[in-house]
Amino acid sequence: MTSVSFPDTARVDALQKVRGAPIFASDDARPGMLHAALAVSTIPRGRILAIDAREARAAPGVRLVLTHEDLADLQLPGFLVGGYGFQNFQPLRTPDVAYRGQPIAIVVADTFEAATEAAALIHASYTEEHFDPTIDSPGAESLDQADTPIGKFLTEPVAGDADEAFAAAPVKIDIELTCPTQHQNPIELVATVAEWEGDKLIVHEGTQNSGALRHGLAQVLGIPAGQVEVISPFVGGGFGQKNSLQMQTALAAVAARRAGAPVKLVVTRAQLFHGSGFRPASRHRVRLGADSAGILLAAIHEVDSQTSRHDFFPGEYAATSSRLYGWGAFRGVQRLVRTDTQTPGFMRAPFEHPACFAMETAIDELAYALGKDPVDLRLANDTSIDPITGLPFSSRHAATCLRRGAERFGWSARSRAPQSMRGADGSYIGWGMALGAYPGMMIASIVKLSATHNGGIEIALGAHEMGQGIRTVIAAVTGRRLGVPPGEVTVVIGDTRAAPQQPTAGSWGTASATLAAETAADAMLEALAKLTPGSSIDGRSPSEILRDAGRASLEVEAMVKAPGQSEEVFDLIRAGKLLRAGPVFDNCVSFSFIAHFVEVRVEPRLRRIRVPRAVSVADCGRVISPRTAASQVRGGVVWGIGAALREASETDPRYGGFLNTDLAEYVIPVNADIGSIDVDFVDEPDSLLDSGIKSLGEVSLCGVAPAIANAIFHATGRRLRELPIRIEHMI
Amino acid sequence: MRQFDYVRAADLGDAVRALSGGAKLLAGGTTLYDLMKLRIEQPEHIVDINHLSELKRFDTSGSSELVFGALSRMSDVAANPLLIRDYPAISESLWRAASQQLRNMASLGGNLLQRTRCPYFRGGEPYACNKREPGSGCAAIEGLDRGQALLGMSHACSAVYPGDFAIALIAFDARVDLIGPRGERTISVEQLHREPGETPHIETTLGPDEIIVRIRVPVTQLGRASTYLKIRDRESYAFALASAAVALEMDGDMVRDARVALGGLATRPWRARGTERKLIGGPLNEQTARDAGEAALEGAAPGHSNAFRIELGIRTVAEALMTARKRGLTS
Repeated sequence: MTSVSFPDTARVDALQKVRGAPIFASDDARPGMLHAALAVSTIPRGRILAIDAREARAAPGVRLVLTHEDLADLQLPGFLVGGYGFQNFQPLRTPDVAYRGQPIAIVVADTFEAATEAAALIHASYTEEHFDPTIDSPGAESLDQADTPIGKFLTEPVAGDADEAFAAAPVKIDIELTCPTQHQNPIELVATVAEWEGDKLIVHEGTQNSGALRHGLAQVLGIPAGQVEVISPFVGGGFGQKNSLQMQTALAAVAARRAGAPVKLVVTRAQLFHGSGFRPASRHRVRLGADSAGILLAAIHEVDSQTSRHDFFPGEYAATSSRLYGWGAFRGVQRLVRTDTQTPGFMRAPFEHPACFAMETAIDELAYALGKDPVDLRLANDTSIDPITGLPFSSRHAATCLRRGAERFGWSARSRAPQSMRGADGSYIGWGMALGAYPGMMIASIVKLSATHNGGIEIALGAHEMGQGIRTVIAAVTGRRLGVPPGEVTVVIGDTRAAPQQPTAGSWGTASATLAAETAADAMLEALAKLTPGSSIDGRSPSEILRDAGRASLEVEAMVKAPGQSEEVFDLIRAGKLLRAGPVFDNCVSFSFIAHFVEVRVEPRLRRIRVPRAVSVADCGRVISPRTAASQVRGGVVWGIGAALREASETDPRYGGFLNTDLAEYVIPVNADIGSIDVDFVDEPDSLLDSGIKSLGEVSLCGVAPAIANAIFHATGRRLRELPIRIEHMI
Repeated sequence: MRQFDYVRAADLGDAVRALSGGAKLLAGGTTLYDLMKLRIEQPEHIVDINHLSELKRFDTSGSSELVFGALSRMSDVAANPLLIRDYPAISESLWRAASQQLRNMASLGGNLLQRTRCPYFRGGEPYACNKREPGSGCAAIEGLDRGQALLGMSHACSAVYPGDFAIALIAFDARVDLIGPRGERTISVEQLHREPGETPHIETTLGPDEIIVRIRVPVTQLGRASTYLKIRDRESYAFALASAAVALEMDGDMVRDARVALGGLATRPWRARGTERKLIGGPLNEQTARDAGEAALEGAAPGHSNAFRIELGIRTVAEALMTARKRGLTS
């Protein structure tokens, strides 16, 4: 176990970033580069009868227009689970229209403006088909997930006979809740720069998964993966939007080949609402049964969530809600509702945020039904054993999060009755709290580490920097192991030329990259020791050892499996496929936990809700980079405030697609919406890895929304079970 | 790209002549460029008026009126100390609009003429919009109408007038001086905007070749006890769900004079004169403020999901009246 905490250090790329030095794909410029724009479908489902691109082709500055008539040889990418794409549907491959906003043509021109203008001159005629645009569409088909092709990989969590236990329970809660469709909206738009050097395709794109881009492009274009390189040194916000091959990358690649020049394609904000995955809408029914002392006897969590017609986007909500407490019995139910949209995606805490909203609202309701304090009720049902598998948790400090959070927040001063706390200005004060959980997962890595006699250390592995600070973590752990300052470690990530690339998602980045870097550093130390037989390498830097041994440089490669994985994982990595380990491991189950305590203020007349302060205490194992870790949690709380009170992607069911497709109408929080966010960590090492790390990024968001909703109940006596909670629900 | 001519007007007369030829004026550009990117505005000629000094006079020192040249920037006027002290409703209506970056660019004349944020207007194909394409229909009326108008709609259009500044201006009986080929004329700001009726694409009474030169606000005792209250989906950078500009002149507890205007609820800036008459000569307290709010929203017609904004509008007016009253007591 790592017994010493890591110091608070600045990001290794902080200076670069504040100077605007990192080059994001949409900033990329190269000689002879052309610009592309997309024309999109105006109907929600059907087939293109004819497409008229004559006017576009004749427009000034236009070099090339491609439609489905030109691109029939494209192949499908496969859906991310088992394949490479955010959906197993490639626009322009056929005349089929699967959703409104789907690209139907790509235009390449000398300038962005010329391409944009020409794209607007493309006219299509269609045959339209019946469509079901939302989870609430009357005709939308609902399937039990168990009966779908993905059902055999995703078994619903079950423990004991939850129905019988619920029926017999003296105290019951039975509620329904809804969460809306949402879009990630990172500030960096999805953008591709594609360039061919002979038969070799080089793609610059801000992606969380350059490996899937490489292998997915090879599959879609029908070329060997060795002819594709993908470079993604910085991602301007990912949040799960950029974790797979997007629909535009192959189009840019084909366009570049046919135009004989590098092509840049920036997907516009409005087009992005239809051009990438999104958080699917979900409906939840939660039933809780407890005895009169507040011991949880049963929980049943049923979920309906949205998928597309062409893919089965999984629902894994109960996999997390089932791990919150040590109930006597549990049953999860998952149904998928097929809608005519692009396939939803893994938007930050994709299942866990809605699952925690549903379950933690129900727990709060149970606390009031029992007349118990919400913190005490949760502490009374804490468990060190996973109720679903019977295995111990790899570590679980949920109780510490709850106790420490309550203390930091001043929870003991709360009076329990709704509407019982008022501010000096007459506002209703609500104090609410909730627990959040997120699975601990890991991936394997193939790492290359080199040292030179003049002090250079370079480490290359599969990881992506999207602002979470993974480059800082890798530099810190590599430097610490090798005895050099982090600033002297060059970290090469997001680059298929340097090492096989795996997706950075699912909050597995830090644990996996740390394991990889430490293993590679140990291999380096071992190799250095062999250079100087008989003398210790302790206290000597790699460059000193190399100089003493008369070597210019030394390179090692480490193949690093996640716990419980077999050697076959390395073949999968080399094929750009994902094999994640966890959260269920051989001898334990890994989850991270967080307790959020939130104060809301509700104006007495206007009823506006404000969130002046939040206290969040996380159990993410060992904290390896205190500054970026705290930043992750603050960002998660901001996301939670947005998810609880602001964000929803709206669909007019007569038209399909999304209506509020810009940052003025899709209401993310602004600075003025955010009060103080006090972050603390338990910082106790997890038992699974030597580093003691478990997941952090996404657990930060989990539980924020129910803490706010519970605080609103405390402030006003109104139990609101539909997100986002807006002013119309308050007056 | 779509070609357009760009010229800098030599003087106001030059700009008027260009307008007569079908040009669009470029001031701050914050609305024009936005709508050009959406292809809603497709001008062939753009006339830049940013350097015309006749449009820049910004003078709050006069004894009878405040003068804001049409090219005054929102941020400059919002930050003016005299306005903050003596006409807080005017300053607040500017502070609470857009973002600092936009306020630094946007002109007051352009702000008055800002076009609606109706998503069906901005969304383009396939949404029908009588403003964008006259005669094509209105997708909003039977659509997602949470943000649509409750006052002043027609069967052809329910788009909200989105601005804040104009709401404060009509409360103070502000006027605009216009110049056109037939010389200058002056109208009240209240007369500037039209209800949609059968022709939602015609949004103002401004002639196609007229330019707003300046805005004039009569000096009034009502200024100090005034406020602009804006309720929206987040604390900044959002358009109003409901807003109210309110100004009072009190005589003890009695209202000697009152002004009430609504924003975010109607198809044009909405002066609630009936409400003012109701308030004048009576006491102002929680109950009469609420009554005034109800009077201001009289005739509001809800659609599918915007009915809450009637109650919100009532409370916004009532709250603004109480804030203005407090300011009247302390000034």
